[in-house]
Amino acid sequence: MTSSSEASVPAGAARAGGTESTRLFVRQTSGLVRELGIPAATGISLASVAVVNTFINFNAGLTDFAKADMYLPLVAGAVIWLVAMFAYRYLLRAVPRAGGEYVYLSRIVSPVAGSVAGLGIAVVFTYVLSTNAHFAAQFTPFMLSGLGAAFHSTAVANAGNHLTSNIAIAWLSVVVMLIVAALSLFSVRIVARIIFWLIVLQVLAFVVLIGMLAFNSHADFVSALATYSNHPNAYGAIIAGAKANGVVFGTSIAAAVAIIPFMVLNYNGVLYSYYVGGELRRPGRTYLYASAISIGVLVVLWIGVWALLRARAGLTFMQAQANLGVINPTAYGKITSLSSVAGGLGYGMVLSGDPITKILFATAVPLAEIAVNLAFLTVTTRVLFAQAFDRLLPVRVADIGERNHAPNVAISIVVVVGIGFCFLTSLVNLGSIVALQSLFFALILLAGGVAATMLPLRRADLLTTPGMPDDARKKWLRNVALVGGATTVLALFTVYELVAHSSVYGKFQWESILTLVIVLGAGPVIYVIARAVRRQRNALDLNMAMRELPPE
Amino acid sequence: MWGKAKGSRKRELRIYFATDVHGSEVCFRKFLAAARVYEADVIILGGDFAGKAIVPVLTEGGMLRARVGGEEVTVPEAEWDRLAADLGKAGLYPVRMDTAELRRLSADEAALDRLFRSEIAAQMQRWCDLAAERLDPSVRCIITPGNDDPVDADAVLAAHGRVECPELELCDLGPVTMVSLGVVPTTPWNTERECTEEELGKQISEMLDQVPAGRPSIVNLHCPPYASGLDDAPELDTTLKPVIRGGRPSIIPVGSRAVREAIKRYQPVVGLHGHIHESRGAQKIGRTLCVNPGSDYSSGVLRGAVIDIAQDGSCLDFLLTTG
Repeated sequence: MTSSSEASVPAGAARAGGTESTRLFVRQTSGLVRELGIPAATGISLASVAVVNTFINFNAGLTDFAKADMYLPLVAGAVIWLVAMFAYRYLLRAVPRAGGEYVYLSRIVSPVAGSVAGLGIAVVFTYVLSTNAHFAAQFTPFMLSGLGAAFHSTAVANAGNHLTSNIAIAWLSVVVMLIVAALSLFSVRIVARIIFWLIVLQVLAFVVLIGMLAFNSHADFVSALATYSNHPNAYGAIIAGAKANGVVFGTSIAAAVAIIPFMVLNYNGVLYSYYVGGELRRPGRTYLYASAISIGVLVVLWIGVWALLRARAGLTFMQAQANLGVINPTAYGKITSLSSVAGGLGYGMVLSGDPITKILFATAVPLAEIAVNLAFLTVTTRVLFAQAFDRLLPVRVADIGERNHAPNVAISIVVVVGIGFCFLTSLVNLGSIVALQSLFFALILLAGGVAATMLPLRRADLLTTPGMPDDARKKWLRNVALVGGATTVLALFTVYELVAHSSVYGKFQWESILTLVIVLGAGPVIYVIARAVRRQRNALDLNMAMRELPPE
Repeated sequence: MWGKAKGSRKRELRIYFATDVHGSEVCFRKFLAAARVYEADVIILGGDFAGKAIVPVLTEGGMLRARVGGEEVTVPEAEWDRLAADLGKAGLYPVRMDTAELRRLSADEAALDRLFRSEIAAQMQRWCDLAAERLDPSVRCIITPGNDDPVDADAVLAAHGRVECPELELCDLGPVTMVSLGVVPTTPWNTERECTEEELGKQISEMLDQVPAGRPSIVNLHCPPYASGLDDAPELDTTLKPVIRGGRPSIIPVGSRAVREAIKRYQPVVGLHGHIHESRGAQKIGRTLCVNPGSDYSSGVLRGAVIDIAQDGSCLDFLLTTG
């Protein structure tokens, strides 16, 4: 049998396809036709993006920068991913396989670079698991408040007030990690079903929110907020309170540019159909259409919901509410019980008149984070697998459970390390968690850009089509290098913004630097240790795994 | 953590194992080069060496025309060697023909089948000759078939002096005896070397029962053991399309229960497997180390495994390679 990366025809005798003059004869062999078309690939891309996480990033932008607005950052983020989309198209065409940056770097730059990226991604993704759990924990008070309102239970609604301390958030994060770990012990098929239904719920919440914002007026919102808060002028009081606490209103280009990294993170996952490159029919074309459609859909959805939020709640109110909750939580708490970090979902809760939508909004973020974490845990364990197969990690890491066919050892490692990160993110000042995450993903994007730039220089043989004239070949390779270079420049711009605004995106204190060093240095350090240990035991040299075989 | 201390045991045999190259000229050349690069004593190509597609190259008015990767390519006749070499790298068989022959092949499945068999046999002959030319005389070269390889190819391998094809036979490798079988359980594609799980189990047992008691063995079975992590492939629906769950292809184990049972029962030192390209890895079943190096032939990348065997026939160490 062969993989899904085959181009053979199932069943039947040898047969032909194409026009009479140019057909290809394919004999009867096992293997799949590349069957994932544009709809399926688009589904994969959209499923990889946590749609409701946009409210977390909106909130981060509003609290971290004065005069923040999201139109420009949303468009700029989309443009950056759009350029990267073309770079990954070339990478996918050259290496039409699953695996992402680890595979691209190891094939195009060097096997060692691939290994470093693989280990870095494993650490980064484990860290992301903990930050997602942290987000879910931060939203627990909002969730309990919403559920309390839905079930008319003040006990449940008030329970959230006791879960706001750092240590409470840390333990809640651990609970989320343990839930994800427990669900991951089911077979991959069941895990995929769980992810699917969790995604359906969050998309449903998003769509209901859009409808609610569209069918209510600004006056409706002001009135609903007053009712929700048991404060006749909650709307005005929040704005006045923010003014009194020095919050600056309005918009500025500088702030919008500085927020771009948040929105780059917002779109992260939108190109992920390249991770299943081996299954795509006509991979370059299918991936391109799927990614373009996904970016288009997200731009329309997110800009649309931002426009609706501006129209119904008002930019001044959103800036006031997000900032007052941070600057003076006591004053904010006296006006309303609405969570200041909930953003659009909170406004949906305010407008919601029935318990079903309240439950939907209340649970959207925690359920979305569990879905994303389940997907990330799967990816992270796969990356660990690859390292174990290359003997950079102990072989036991890749052990499969006899009963559940799940990688129990790899899952345990990721969960234990993830729980450690949960405590760090909750109890230690690592700077802005969201920002470090942005930096990690910017670096991954940078790795993709570098791989695409190097592609025509180091592995032109993977790109060119048989029979292509020399002139066309040179032009084609030049285009690939240009797109790769553009992606690298945009990724560097994102990294620059992150570093330039380090007060927001992660201060360079010893804790954050140590984290960065661990992430970036994990690959080489583990490589050196593993190689030394193996040498001591007279085992096969790790270098052997990195040797290039001459093709001739 | 990185394996048990091996004490005084010394390497007696180094095996380089690759599989599923599917006609890729570049991968086969890398396979031969692996003997030198990895300092192997034996190189084993474990099945599915035959290519899958013929690219008809039409000759018209001094120009050559072919469809490659969904796009039509036209080059001067003088460029034939380069075009053929480029196509061969990806495992395609370029065949020059005129429009009349193209029409005839389109209408005559038997003639097309004969053409495929003759192209595969010719390629195997070329590859065996290349092995004889390039390999150090001290290196043993073993090529065994897989389910996608026509049975006609066995004769080419058997007749060649430089290459060994111990299919369904015991093969003495020094400290261990190897048994080889390219047959797999029934697939949806109805390929040439398939049988039921019961029949497969019987064939494996018949071979392993011949290994002298106490003699360490390794098995070169094209199909990996069921639910071993070496056999994960996309789940298919009734129309042979991948099933999508949660926005991703559903992955299920598709290996052989008979292979798994045989490994559990006989506990060979090593199991060499292929068949499922995307399920690269190594797993232990009892004391047996099972390895599937995977395949990435269409990218011109040769995936393999280096396995060191000690004097007492035990497995000292292994490494998955990408070259």
